[in-house]
Amino acid sequence: MRVDSSPMMHEGKSEDGPLVSILVPTFNRPLYLAQALASTARQSYRNLQIIVVNDGGSDVTGVVESFNDPRITFINRGLNRGKAYSLNEAIVRVQGKYVAYLDDDDILYSNHIETLVNTLENNADYGVAYSDLYKVYCRPAPDGQRVVLSKVVDVSRDFDRFLMLFFNHVLHVSCLHRIDLFNKTGLYNEKLNVLIDWDMTRRLAFFTDFYHVHQVTGEFYHPAGECDRISVQRRKDKEEYARNVVTIRTTRPAKPWPKIADLSIIFTVERLDQQAATTMGLIWRHTFYPYKLYLPLSHEDISRFTTDMPNVVILPVDSTLTQLQRIDKALADCEGEYVAVVSAGFPIRDMWLEDSLYALINTPNKNEAFELEGSTGDLWAAVARKEHLQIARNRHPNLPVREGLLSEGISVRRLKSDEIPFQFDSALKEAQKNEGIGNWKQAFKIYEHIEQRYHNQLWMRSSAANALFKAGEFDKSAEIISWVNRQRQTVDTLLLEAKLKRRSRNFDGALSLLKKAKDILAGQTQSDTNTQSNEKLYVKSV
Amino acid sequence: MSEERPIAVDITQNENAGRHNSTQHYEVLMELGDCLTSVGKYDQAKQHYDKAAMLDPDAAGPYIGLGVVNLQKESFDDAEIAFRVACRLDTNCARAYAGLAMIEQRRAHYNEAFKMYLKCLELENDNLTALLGLFQTSCQMGSFDKIIHYLQTYLETHLGDTSVMFALSALYMKDGRLVESQKILRDVLTLQPEHKDAANLLEEVEHGLSAQAKSGVAGPSTMLRTGK
Repeated sequence: MRVDSSPMMHEGKSEDGPLVSILVPTFNRPLYLAQALASTARQSYRNLQIIVVNDGGSDVTGVVESFNDPRITFINRGLNRGKAYSLNEAIVRVQGKYVAYLDDDDILYSNHIETLVNTLENNADYGVAYSDLYKVYCRPAPDGQRVVLSKVVDVSRDFDRFLMLFFNHVLHVSCLHRIDLFNKTGLYNEKLNVLIDWDMTRRLAFFTDFYHVHQVTGEFYHPAGECDRISVQRRKDKEEYARNVVTIRTTRPAKPWPKIADLSIIFTVERLDQQAATTMGLIWRHTFYPYKLYLPLSHEDISRFTTDMPNVVILPVDSTLTQLQRIDKALADCEGEYVAVVSAGFPIRDMWLEDSLYALINTPNKNEAFELEGSTGDLWAAVARKEHLQIARNRHPNLPVREGLLSEGISVRRLKSDEIPFQFDSALKEAQKNEGIGNWKQAFKIYEHIEQRYHNQLWMRSSAANALFKAGEFDKSAEIISWVNRQRQTVDTLLLEAKLKRRSRNFDGALSLLKKAKDILAGQTQSDTNTQSNEKLYVKSV
Repeated sequence: MSEERPIAVDITQNENAGRHNSTQHYEVLMELGDCLTSVGKYDQAKQHYDKAAMLDPDAAGPYIGLGVVNLQKESFDDAEIAFRVACRLDTNCARAYAGLAMIEQRRAHYNEAFKMYLKCLELENDNLTALLGLFQTSCQMGSFDKIIHYLQTYLETHLGDTSVMFALSALYMKDGRLVESQKILRDVLTLQPEHKDAANLLEEVEHGLSAQAKSGVAGPSTMLRTGK
């Protein structure tokens, strides 16, 4: 073990494959840290740098030293400065080509690093690979150990960039990524006190695709009842939480962004008044797609204008300019590939802009622009490609925006219901609603539909098989769950197939599946059984 | 276009979690116990039920399992203790009452068994163990009214359950209701042509019917060749 080390940041490689740096921030969990570190020690992939950062918590020197592992770098800080600070402290010491993560109360299976490194080494177009993890419901035992109640692959979701901007569907701790991506994303945001992981995962999505490996390669723990996780506790302060969410959504890493097209919002006002301020505030709170807000304002308005809203570009204009002229002025400065035009008083809600933007990005007809929902004759807003808007304005400066676009052959329309984003989520919610009222056959049909249309095959088929089982359609359920288990076995899928086998009086088959499920619950995955005894020793030493 | 959207912004807040009410490990142990019981590995089954009881001390299920294991091993006193614990943990546990009934039946306490089976059927009117147990007890006691009612009720919601249909046809026959018995047995054989017991019983019922037709006499006493 090395205690601390000089900051450095470069790519490493050895004969055993590229060096992987695992970052392990810890705070006041010595017992669980021992289990977490034991799981790094038993990685089949050996070329590791393990950076443990004690974030001012109880002394864990004994825990770290008990591993006697020269691959461990230990930063033992006395002052508590938060997870983001700890991760940044570790990042500057990273020597590996790849970075992986481990929270102090989580566990990696022995194939975790090897699986993800192989994925990225064989898929050069991807910068991030992630796997699935069990969410482990547990309760504390008197000796401080955790009694496992359930191990569930709660979500096994394929990467969706648009969704990532809105909802974190990739567990950060399951990610492994190239170190050089930090040069683009920047470091962790130390101003955040919650959702720190999502902030980084979201920023990574600006620069690279994510490869989803459909294997379960670790566990994260969730105590039943009141959760002691710091992040969960902090979410209880709703205002603070909302502040963090907005901060994350308005974060724009440095350009160029190879994977995300920028958006400019041109906000026009006759005069900066309370209504304008309210609309701007709503835009700030309700827009999750990365944007800059362009404000063509008179000098008088500028002198009255103060804001702490990020990503605002103030453009001084003559007070005599018309709204159209102000749009033209802003348009000349816009960076975005897409431009939205909106004026004060426009109704702003969640997805107010993203619905139409998503349709615009995905429409096969490239000569279209979209009128935003809520537009009226008096209060009109739209989103279009910047090039289209520029041509329309240049050629038809005296026509309203809409008519200018139409004159250039750009159709301006409202989105159709099948063009809105997150239909997967809406359908999933519908299926779960049907499950909730016992309408299992309908739930099955929806899962089947989701799979056909939006993929996420293993997840949807597992859910479909469960719904069929509940609906009493055992043969079909057995067929599907048997297929799922041939691809990937989890406790839930093994349990379901076992129940079906028991129903058909195939007791030996059921017992075989149940024993596998029991082994997983006992922490004895096939790849880990050989090293459990080591972990017990480490834990005992604590 | 203003439909509901996901509100949470992070996977760890996923609402799916609520669906897994922390009983998975318990379920695995219970399934193991049940399977091991089915293949006669009672000691191993007991171990799993014990572990399940530790995971969820308030659940009646493991005690039902332990009761069944002890019943199979003919340890009636231990079985009774287990079923009574299950009843205490869940006063509406039909299976526990069925278990207690089976113990009483095995002890030849038919009146007690009959009451317990009835209690079970009050709680779960399609409990097959209780229905068949009640049938056996009725035969042992020679009283059929209540069991006929329960079997009829059961078949209203479980059309085509040939085991219950067969039991009901036998009761009808014992009760001298040969035409009703014949009808049900024909239905059983339509659903399950290889059902030998049904075929044999139908033969007897039809023999009885023809005897009645010849003699012009109808009544329970004329048809007791299979009266077990």
